[in-house]
This record gives sequence, C-alpha cells and structure tokens, in this order.
Amino acid sequence: MPDKRMTDELEEYLAGESALSRQYRRESAPMPPHALDRLILKAAVAQGLAPLAFAASVLLSVALVLALVFGPQAAKKADDEPRVLKVSVYKTDPPRAAPASPRERNPAAWLGDIAALRRAGRDREADIEMRRFRSAYPSYLIPVSE
Amino acid sequence: MSSRCLVLPQVVAPRMLPAMDLSDDDAGLMLRYRDGDAAAFSALYAQYKGPLYRYLLRLVRNAGAAADLFQEVWSRLVATRARYEPRAKFATFLFHIAHNCAVDFFRRDVNLRGEIAAQDLDPPLLEPEVPEYQRPDRVAEFVEQQSALLAAVAALPHEQREAFLLREETGLSVEEIARVTDVPVETAKSRLRYAIRKLQKSLSPMLEPGVLPARTYA
Repeated sequence: MPDKRMTDELEEYLAGESALSRQYRRESAPMPPHALDRLILKAAVAQGLAPLAFAASVLLSVALVLALVFGPQAAKKADDEPRVLKVSVYKTDPPRAAPASPRERNPAAWLGDIAALRRAGRDREADIEMRRFRSAYPSYLIPVSE
Repeated sequence: MSSRCLVLPQVVAPRMLPAMDLSDDDAGLMLRYRDGDAAAFSALYAQYKGPLYRYLLRLVRNAGAAADLFQEVWSRLVATRARYEPRAKFATFLFHIAHNCAVDFFRRDVNLRGEIAAQDLDPPLLEPEVPEYQRPDRVAEFVEQQSALLAAVAALPHEQREAFLLREETGLSVEEIARVTDVPVETAKSRLRYAIRKLQKSLSPMLEPGVLPARTYA
C-alpha cells in the first residue's frame, strides 16, 4: 500500500507546476521531420475530400445535362425536389475536372483565391473551391500554414 | 512513393510555455474533418504533432521507430474518421490510438521473434535478432544523447514511462490516462506515482535549485 508521503507527492504533482514538470518543459522539444508533415497532410487532405469532390461533380453533371436537354426549368425542378442519388465509389481516382478559367489554370493563384475566401470568413465557398481544386489538381502539394 | 522518410528530427528551442490547454474544441475540429473539412485536420495536426511525436519518441526510445508509429497513428485516425464520435476528449481519442499502435508494434516484434524461435530447427538457420530499437547499445546511445532528466525517463519501466509522458505531453487526468492505456484508474495512478517518485529521487539536486551541498573545510 503506498505510504502517505507518496500519495502527497502524487497529489502535489497532479496539482500542476511541480519542479519536475517545470524541468521537463525546459527540455528540448523535438518535432517530427518536415517530410513526415507533408506526407501525412497530403494523405489526410486527399482522403478527406475525394468522396465529396466526386459526389459534387456528379450532382453538377446531372443538373447540367438536364438544363441542356430539357431547359433550365427541368434542372431547377430537379434541384427543388430532393432525390437520393446512388453514387458509385470508384476504386481508382475520380474523373478530373478540367480547369475552367485562366485563373484556375494557375494552381498557385487559385489557392490564393481560396485563402482570400477563408480570410473573408466565406468558408463554404472556400470549401467548394478547394474541392474543385483537388479535383483538378489531385497531386498538387498544398503548402501547410501553421 | 515509399512511406519511409529520412528521420532527421527538427531541433527546436526549449519550451517555456505551460502545459498545453487541450479543450474540447479539438473534438469539434475532428467532427469538421469527419464531415470533409481538410483545414480542420491541418489545425489538429499542427496542435498535436509535437506532443504525439515526443510521446512516441520517448516511449520507444528510437527515432526511426517513432517516425513509423507517428505515421501509423495519423493513418489510423484518417481511416476511421467516418466513425468518430466525441465520447471523450480528442486528446484521449488520439493517444488511445497511439497507445494501441505502440502495443501492436511491440507485439509484432515479439510474434516475429517467436515464429523464428518456433521453427525448431537444429541448428537454427536464423538466430532471432534483437530489433535495432531494443538493442542495448542503441538504447544506450539514445539515452546518452538525452539530458539527465530525459535519461531518467528513458530508464523508467515501460508502463511508468508511458504514464509520465502522457501526463506531461497532454495534461490528461489520471482517469483519462487510465482510459488511454486500458487499465483501472488505480493502476494508472500507481504507475504515475512510482514514476514521479523515481524521477524526483534520481534528479533531486537538479530539481531543488538553491539547495547546495554543505562545504567542508580541512
């Protein structure tokens, strides 16, 4: 059974700001290599966005086809009525969307626009643009800002 | 692209900040990442990469193994993000994954060595090799590069070292440490108690500034 002194030591330690904790915090603080950061972030972003990017492109394609074949009202009506779409999940990469505008053909400029949207608090638009960007440039390494 | 990376830990200045304030905002970030917000993952990664890396590095006492485990932890988190529910602090969730990865890591090594030994060949074609991170000379080399305190941490028994590192790197309570390591609260408390006792005992002159040994004169 632990003696009372040990229990007091533990309680003092857990209360915070013990000499031991202060000394530990003075020690060097190694961080993971930058190469690991890039690898992990790239994988997380790619896996986090790929399914949504594909689903968004399917919905947009359906609306576009309806508008072209039946006119804008059909596309609008389709949008008004909620439907359940069966979305196939490809085991390979989804089809890449071709960049539409000259600005979008410049990945760095496109990322700058997305960053500007975030700074302006327009997160939803930024998310949509980022999904389009990932669809157009799936292998592009996005710089990490900390 | 190979998943192995050249392991060159960054050297940074000593930390002068208090222990991290790990709030449940992190659970909110994880939920956002679950729902497709990649920026939320970046924010979580930036906040936890240091504590997680140091926990793994000082637990396994080998930079190469720590880097492999570090990558595996984040891979598991990404792979299971769709099932994430905030039943505990995010730090508890993340470090529970890390603890399980470390357990699997050590278990794989034991199983591999057991398989080699079980071949029951006479004479054995292959001597079971001690993995690099467990070789006494490699551990000694790792310890030599550490300060007195970190060398003392490295010398703790595995479970006590883990309890101490979880407390220092995450600020988790004893109850949360028990959840991370899948043991009863009293067991976690006992491990932490013995760890700090040993560390304080081995480092007492350093931890009590101003207490100088009495000088004697001939």
